[in-house]
Amino acid sequence: MNGGRELHLVGLSHKSAPVAVREKVALSGDDLKGALAALSDRPGVGEVMVVSTCNRVECYVYGESLEEARHFFLARTGEAEEHLYERSGREAVRHLFRVAASLDSMVVGEPQILGQVKEAYGLAASVQTAGAFVSRLCNRAFATAKRVRSETEIARGAGSISQVAVELVEKIFGNLKGRAVLLVGAGKMGALSAKALRDLGADRILVTNRSPERSRALAAEIGAVAEPWEGLTSLLVLADVVIVSTGAPSYVITRELVAQAMKARRGRSVCFIDLAVPRNVDPACGEQDNVYAYDIDDLQKVVSQTHAARAEEAIRAEAIVEAEVMAFALERETRAALPVLAELRRKAEQIARAEAERTLAQVGAKLDEKGRRSVEAMAQAIVNKLLHGPTARLKEAAASGDSDLPGAAAELFGVGEAEAPPARGRSRDAPDADIHTEPHR
Amino acid sequence: MSLLVLRFAALFYAGAVTAYVLHFARPRHAALATVGQWLLGFAFVVQAIAIGLGCKEYGGAEFFGLRGGLVFMTWLAAGASLVVQRLYRIPAIGAFVTPLILVVLLPTLFLVKPDFPEVLPEAVRRPMLTIHIVTALLGVALFAIASLVAVMYLLQEREVKGKRFGALFSRLPSLAALDQLNQRLVRFGFVVYTVALLTGSGMAKVVWKSAWQWDPQQVSSLVIWMLYGVMVQLRHTGWHGRRFALLTIVAFGLVVGSMVTLNVLPEGMTRHGGDFSGERK
Repeated sequence: MNGGRELHLVGLSHKSAPVAVREKVALSGDDLKGALAALSDRPGVGEVMVVSTCNRVECYVYGESLEEARHFFLARTGEAEEHLYERSGREAVRHLFRVAASLDSMVVGEPQILGQVKEAYGLAASVQTAGAFVSRLCNRAFATAKRVRSETEIARGAGSISQVAVELVEKIFGNLKGRAVLLVGAGKMGALSAKALRDLGADRILVTNRSPERSRALAAEIGAVAEPWEGLTSLLVLADVVIVSTGAPSYVITRELVAQAMKARRGRSVCFIDLAVPRNVDPACGEQDNVYAYDIDDLQKVVSQTHAARAEEAIRAEAIVEAEVMAFALERETRAALPVLAELRRKAEQIARAEAERTLAQVGAKLDEKGRRSVEAMAQAIVNKLLHGPTARLKEAAASGDSDLPGAAAELFGVGEAEAPPARGRSRDAPDADIHTEPHR
Repeated sequence: MSLLVLRFAALFYAGAVTAYVLHFARPRHAALATVGQWLLGFAFVVQAIAIGLGCKEYGGAEFFGLRGGLVFMTWLAAGASLVVQRLYRIPAIGAFVTPLILVVLLPTLFLVKPDFPEVLPEAVRRPMLTIHIVTALLGVALFAIASLVAVMYLLQEREVKGKRFGALFSRLPSLAALDQLNQRLVRFGFVVYTVALLTGSGMAKVVWKSAWQWDPQQVSSLVIWMLYGVMVQLRHTGWHGRRFALLTIVAFGLVVGSMVTLNVLPEGMTRHGGDFSGERK
């Protein structure tokens, strides 16, 4: 564009690369800090940030080209080559905003990604590879994500099976304090849901399985208590939430079994979540009072509804992102005119002060205090009046994207180009500093 | 004067209804619930002033008529729902309770023909009567709120069991919370209503020289009391959820039914309200 520095992005994500490649380039903690520092020392690289999650690894470089960012991946594995995507300038900014707003996630609207981007920024800031530009960029990205979250319904609803299960159980029991969760069978999804329910406050998690070894192994894994399979009937009396995922070809939980248990429970509510295919819980169980039974299709239906609703909301979210990208670019261009302005004003004031001093040195003795101050004020006033017009027009030009005028002004007034952006290490939160860090366009 | 203040209170109620209903429709705006609660609180205070002024104007006789009874009951219902909001923090309840309060209050703002005796006989000027009126009306107010909570329960149960998970599903609180609140309201209402029944028969003894008269009001009150007593008892044997919610609604239907019937029955069989001649006709 202008030969100056730009934001460049090179990355791969769940959309472009299989997990086998993603895990080869993923980095975290101290490894990532080291990589950031190494990358930012390369020539032509100003600021660096790397977002690394299990679904994506993206390297954002504020510098002269994206070659260094490409190198970041290729140095790790040559396999990455065909999976990489590259963006520069406004495209790169848009990409980051979309990622932070969870529009690029596997499950659109999922809440974790914003935290992960914040973490990535925090890490880059801690090793001082994120400077004024990346810091402004990220703050705008966070603000965009927040707007998307509050102005659209993109984060509403449950996006995964275990989230749906948790939401259902929450609507039946409120919190799960003092309640028991029973896991029948050793399916992976069941274990996941059980863990989620424990986060909701369930104190006791019981596991039962036809094979006692597997039952014990799973219990140890998720911190539950293994119970013998033969005691299933009495376990049903104990448990308030029953997650069933066995490989059995027919109903494990029958209508009679539940009726019997409900009698012993004196009607206390119970919720069955059947994750097995073929189903393990007789759907007729749910016809009884205070018995709630759901199968995997019920849950899947909610998940697809959520996804459909989110896809619709995503359109509105994209519009917000677009507006924020524009605003960010505009702000940046306005900023680009500022170094010239600041330099111009500094120079003019310097001249005014020097001239005032010179005058005062000659005739100052004949003037009283008030007179001396008038001379100083007059010099200052001349500067202000002279610069008022050019200042306004420069700001206007910058805001409308005209990048010629600032350059012309610099040449005309002889204030020269703003000095080159300083190396990393400059405090990222010194607001005045970044007037000079950006080259004007 | 008291009427003017009462109309003013009704404006605050209308504000509270708006805020709560808007909050129910758009739960993301959490501040609306707070606004609703404040407006309800203001309405409660303003109505208290109206009631105080009314007492000054009519010497308390106002509450022997249906209109005064409704005014006082809505005030108690507002107070009770403020307490419930404070204890349970379920703003969705406001969206159900405040409209009912407003609807019941509305006719009292315009039907101002006095329907009560001008001077209260000496015989009934006792603190026991005050307790009777307050507890009877509070009991009914609590039963009313309980039945609304039961309606919320049934709506939510339909969502949860019918696997709908629509707008109501996310807006209504959990079944457990609604069931528990319903049970507590019924239990507390029963205790309050018991006091009303005891003081009522105490008054009957003073005025009519006999605690039990087969007066229609007495009979229906006893039936209602027994019904709620049975509900409290059933709870201990495991009755809850859908069936308990249905029973709560049926019981309150009976309360309303008896109130309506007793007020439209022909002269001579009217409730004891205006009849303080000392003898039954």
